[in-house]
Amino acid sequence: MFDPKLKEALGRVQKPGRYTGGEPGSIYKEKDKVDVRFAFCFPDTYEVGMSFLGEKILYELLNSHENWWCERAFMPWLDMKAEMERLQLPLYTMESKDPLTAFDAVGFTLQYELSYTNILAMLDLAGIPFYSKDRDDRWPLIVAGGPCACNAEPIADFFDVIQLGEGENQLPAICAEIEKAKKEGISKKQLLLNIAKIPGVYIPAFYDVTYHEDGRVKAITPNEPGIPARITKAIIKDLNQFAPPTNFVVPMVGAIQDRASIEVLRGCVRGCRFCQAGFLYRPMRQRDASLLNKAAQDLCANTGYEELSLSSLSTSDHGQLEELLDDLNEWAPKEHVSLSLPSLRVDNFSQSLIEKTTKVRKSGLTFAAEAGTQRLRNVINKNVTWDEIEKTCTIAFNAGYTSVKLYFMMGLPTETMEDIEGIAETAQKVVDLYYKNTNHAKGRGVQVTISCACFVPKPHTPFQFVPMDTAETLQAKQKHLLESVHSRKIKVNYHDSTTSFLEGVFAKGDRRLAPVIVEAYKRGCYFDGWEECFKYDTWMQTFADLGIDPAFYCQRPIALDEVTPWSHMDYGITHEYLVREYNKALAAQTTPPCNRACNACGANHLLGGPCFDYSQNLV
Amino acid sequence: MITVRISFEKKNEASYISLLDLQRVMQRVLKRSGLPVWHTLGFNPHIYMTFACPLSLGQESECECVDVKTEAEAPDFAQWQTALNAIMPAGIHVTRVAPVEMKADSIAFACYRISYPAAAVAVLEQYNALETAPVEKHSKRGKKIIDLKEHIPQLRYTALGDTVQLELCLPAAQELNLNPSLLTGFLEEKFGLPAASANILRTKFLTADQQLFA
Repeated sequence: MFDPKLKEALGRVQKPGRYTGGEPGSIYKEKDKVDVRFAFCFPDTYEVGMSFLGEKILYELLNSHENWWCERAFMPWLDMKAEMERLQLPLYTMESKDPLTAFDAVGFTLQYELSYTNILAMLDLAGIPFYSKDRDDRWPLIVAGGPCACNAEPIADFFDVIQLGEGENQLPAICAEIEKAKKEGISKKQLLLNIAKIPGVYIPAFYDVTYHEDGRVKAITPNEPGIPARITKAIIKDLNQFAPPTNFVVPMVGAIQDRASIEVLRGCVRGCRFCQAGFLYRPMRQRDASLLNKAAQDLCANTGYEELSLSSLSTSDHGQLEELLDDLNEWAPKEHVSLSLPSLRVDNFSQSLIEKTTKVRKSGLTFAAEAGTQRLRNVINKNVTWDEIEKTCTIAFNAGYTSVKLYFMMGLPTETMEDIEGIAETAQKVVDLYYKNTNHAKGRGVQVTISCACFVPKPHTPFQFVPMDTAETLQAKQKHLLESVHSRKIKVNYHDSTTSFLEGVFAKGDRRLAPVIVEAYKRGCYFDGWEECFKYDTWMQTFADLGIDPAFYCQRPIALDEVTPWSHMDYGITHEYLVREYNKALAAQTTPPCNRACNACGANHLLGGPCFDYSQNLV
Repeated sequence: MITVRISFEKKNEASYISLLDLQRVMQRVLKRSGLPVWHTLGFNPHIYMTFACPLSLGQESECECVDVKTEAEAPDFAQWQTALNAIMPAGIHVTRVAPVEMKADSIAFACYRISYPAAAVAVLEQYNALETAPVEKHSKRGKKIIDLKEHIPQLRYTALGDTVQLELCLPAAQELNLNPSLLTGFLEEKFGLPAASANILRTKFLTADQQLFA
């Protein structure tokens, strides 16, 4: 059945089930009978990639076309990568086991800046040249989409096509162009010109970038007739027209998120100023409770999953959440399905909500407070108050919860050591609250975990203008946080500031970083997001050898009128809005959620009308 | 309530999933099938399942089984088999569904068919000429040395085209359970025959009195 070389490799690696395919729900077609073959590549391990909802959406959508076949490929872990290189086994897809070069298109999802080298590793394993300009008509079209497409400039030269925004209409449109091009036998250039007409499609080769002497971008201009100066992201106006996928490929070796998952809404009304997703996916659109209930039931029946997660950026902002939970609770307990709600907000977490989610199973509570003091929470527009945290924790402790995880960031704009102390104080107040509450679980202590990430300024947010803290400053703040914690009930986790630095460089980087990424890959950098694989010194040496200063990209304030490397990307948010929010942040002024009052960010133009019916007094 | 044995093949892709993973796969397949299998009565009810004699990762089998319980009155086992096969992952195929006749602990031996490239014959002959074949067996109770020759005095093989096949039966009981990888590992270490070039297929289980386990 398996190629003897593959069998040999599988016999030598850890968890070979990651490389074999055949999972329930995976789709097999006859390759001679399909017109378009698409390899969906996730540039991280199988366990991470199989947790990704976007892949499940597009896998089902593309395969619903009888004459297209979408298959999956993942980045092999170190041992498998070494075996494949030793045995000269090219990177293959899980379904047909064909090498990536046998496909019409190879698509990568850009979820995380530190997976960029893995993209090169996957192309390399497949024997595909890195740069778009080095691939003629004989090579598969290399495409990319996902959140990092909002500034994929550091890797833009590797791709033929980059997709901005939502893929539900866009990716099938691209596949249709490929199908047509194969029948008509047109050139790659003509195919790209055709694809460029699809909403949200960015063809990097059709834009020239010029620079000032000091290194800043001077201008980004189209170099082909008919190509727009700015690309507006693709958007699904009515999410109800796309029911969530009801068939998943169910992994047999444990994925990180191994459960049924239903996307209840897209976008977010909150406007937290640090949050890139909150700006990229505007405006917020939700699916009807009845549609979601049906999809959830079908999904659980089709997969056999016993855990259902209602996912989104902020699930409790769904206008019909209580109604949906009631509907789900009609059948879920009978089917032994438990419900989980990630992304709950502290401020509208209610007694009835907690009852409805803990009917079957009880897990820990996680709150994203993000900053330790009210002043700083106002700066970042995380409109959460201590009173709300107190109220929520009281409800949770009464319900028997004994562990609370608090998410924070450090390195936020205007942050002082006082704000860092505020993180420790907030956690301490939660501990005190537990012991003051006479209803808490009998005979059990409380565990409060502080999880502290380093803030990385991201494009398309009001904080895109601010410099990132240096590693020294972040490390000093981490040290201060540890010194400010005085209870053994509080555990502190924090991120490595060097990986955050590299993330910051790529997030705001430009096309001149491509050779650095290639060179770092050649020097052995991949799986940069994995602590055990991250080679900071190699990266810094590579930057130095190529004469590029990484700090220029992320540790320098960007002038409000500067041309950014991503200024040709239009996510619907006006530049004026970002500037306005930035100035309000510096003044510690908050902005209300946009379903209560429109703040005129500009995203309503994507829908061609108001985002919400404000006469209905939502929330 | 009766105990039902689901016998199945575990081959190809499915040979690379561990027992832990297999348990999860079976749990989900049984749930999807909608068959009236019995759930445990604890706080987190789950389908009651018992697997006999776990198979090593990478080995194939024609004789795996999982036992479940059912409160159904007169279950249609042919229909169970069809329903399960319709949703099994690639490589798992249900061969029989029937009430349990023998308890899982009556298994005493497991029989294997091992295929090697034809050139391995020379090594097999070298093994047959040995006086002793000591291997180190690791178990929960620690390491111990076992002489393979005590259990496999001679390798009986058949040349089949460009492969050579050998059949052997090994103890598979509580007290002593020998994995065929002990033999393939020994042949690699001693004679340089790569263990990865062996295809190992478990063909049947036998009871202490050499009856076919069902």
